[in-house]
Amino acid sequence: MNKQLTLTQSRVLLKQEKSNQPILIVIAIIAALVFSFFYLKISLVDMIVGLPNFILFFFQKFLPASTENLAAYIPSVIDTLGYAVVATYLSSILAFILGILISEHTNKFKAIRLFVRGFISILRNIPFIIWGALLVYIFGIGGIVGVLALLLVTIGFLGKSYAESIDEIAGDKLEALKANGSSYFQILVHGIIPQFIPAWINWTLFAFEINVRASVVLGLVGAGGIGVLIDTNINLFKYGEALTIIAVVVCIILLTEFATNSIRKRIL
Amino acid sequence: MEPLLSIKNLAKVYGKETRALNGISLDFYPGEFIVVIGPSGAGKSTFIRCINRLVDPTEGEMIFDNQHLEKLSGKKLRKERSKIGMIFQHYNLVGRTNVIKNVLHGQLSNTPLYKSMFGLYREEDKREAVELLKKVGLEEQIYKRADALSGGQMQRVGICRAILQRPKVILADEPIASLDPLSANIVMQQLHDISCEKNLTCIVNLHQVDFAKKYASRIVGIKKGRVVFDGTPTELTDEIVKEIYEGKESQMTLQNDASSIFDKQDRKELVAAGHGYE
Repeated sequence: MNKQLTLTQSRVLLKQEKSNQPILIVIAIIAALVFSFFYLKISLVDMIVGLPNFILFFFQKFLPASTENLAAYIPSVIDTLGYAVVATYLSSILAFILGILISEHTNKFKAIRLFVRGFISILRNIPFIIWGALLVYIFGIGGIVGVLALLLVTIGFLGKSYAESIDEIAGDKLEALKANGSSYFQILVHGIIPQFIPAWINWTLFAFEINVRASVVLGLVGAGGIGVLIDTNINLFKYGEALTIIAVVVCIILLTEFATNSIRKRIL
Repeated sequence: MEPLLSIKNLAKVYGKETRALNGISLDFYPGEFIVVIGPSGAGKSTFIRCINRLVDPTEGEMIFDNQHLEKLSGKKLRKERSKIGMIFQHYNLVGRTNVIKNVLHGQLSNTPLYKSMFGLYREEDKREAVELLKKVGLEEQIYKRADALSGGQMQRVGICRAILQRPKVILADEPIASLDPLSANIVMQQLHDISCEKNLTCIVNLHQVDFAKKYASRIVGIKKGRVVFDGTPTELTDEIVKEIYEGKESQMTLQNDASSIFDKQDRKELVAAGHGYE
């Protein structure tokens, strides 16, 4: 009775009780921003004043793009794509095995699950560029560093994603195979894998896209491929050539995305 | 007559206190079509799942095929499980696999992995799978993906898969609870016909008393984890039904969750249509 009265008499509230939480959140965000600016001594004025210089530098040094060596970049382009292909391919197989070991539905030994999960989490959480920088010290400059760095991170990424997908499809559905006396590997092959295929394709294509980008960047730390060319040309002040190579990189990435998207559309 | 499956003092305790089954003793004989009725939460599902050890019982004995089912593990358990077919409420087919392969899953336990991987099932198994699918009216659907079928069709594939195991016993856990009344009738009729024809013992969980009376040769009533009725359909009087469902009367005729959106008149018409179909 009382509530009805207040409803008709006062204005309708959109929330049950007043809260100053939103204000606190806004204050916290602004505080973080202001602190960062002051701590790093970033001056907005310098940034704005520097802008014309940057644009000038770009137009003077980078333009015109020099396309005379275009054909010479092709082997490096193929190298870069090759690292991504090899790394994605190998890691999709290894990550599937690890995914099975992580998922509760396919591995009942908790100790092994936790161990593999921890191992994969380490692989995944060390950025590929750091793996690259570390591995260059071990293997020296070259392609194997690129492949290994990508492989390690992709195994981490795909292992976790695959395990989550297996968790989603498994469960009650597999009871039927369990109940009719099928063996563990038969349940895996006939119950889990068919249902897992769409997720497997999706995650692997996604990993390939990421790996093509990462493969370019890895060249900058000496892991081979087209990234090396960008680094060398900038160091030699050949900005015109560097610009062309950057344009080639953009093309590679766009083409990769186009290709993976059309594969997705066709298969799924 | 020697019982095919003999259950003594079966109990299942979940956690510390929850007694889902409270000492169930029953003997099942060859060729019986047993329907287990009871309100939801009575322990029907736990009971049926204990038989093939999808749920491990806490206490009691289950003697089947001269073996103590409760003591088996590993390969021996799988061997006995292959002699017990099971049908599920949610069908549990592999959706992206086609219908005939789903039926052939019934023979996985007799097929080595390397053969089943490449689809090298025995010719007689394949032939029987096709015959079973024809029998349940799914010959058009043989090569369709299982997830392209309707619920009723999926359950009929589930029946074929269980039969292809050439089992001695069929367990069915609420096989029609997710189906519309029309499909429910077809599925129950076919399950009944096939198990009669093959002289199988069939243990079916249902919560619809009308279906139980129509098909069962023997009805078992379970309430709070105990057997409160065991007899023929004619012995199951309205008073006994009332007692079994005491406090949960609404579940006696409730078809499934989805059908509760119909009002009573609608439901009657649908059921009538189902009966007319046969």
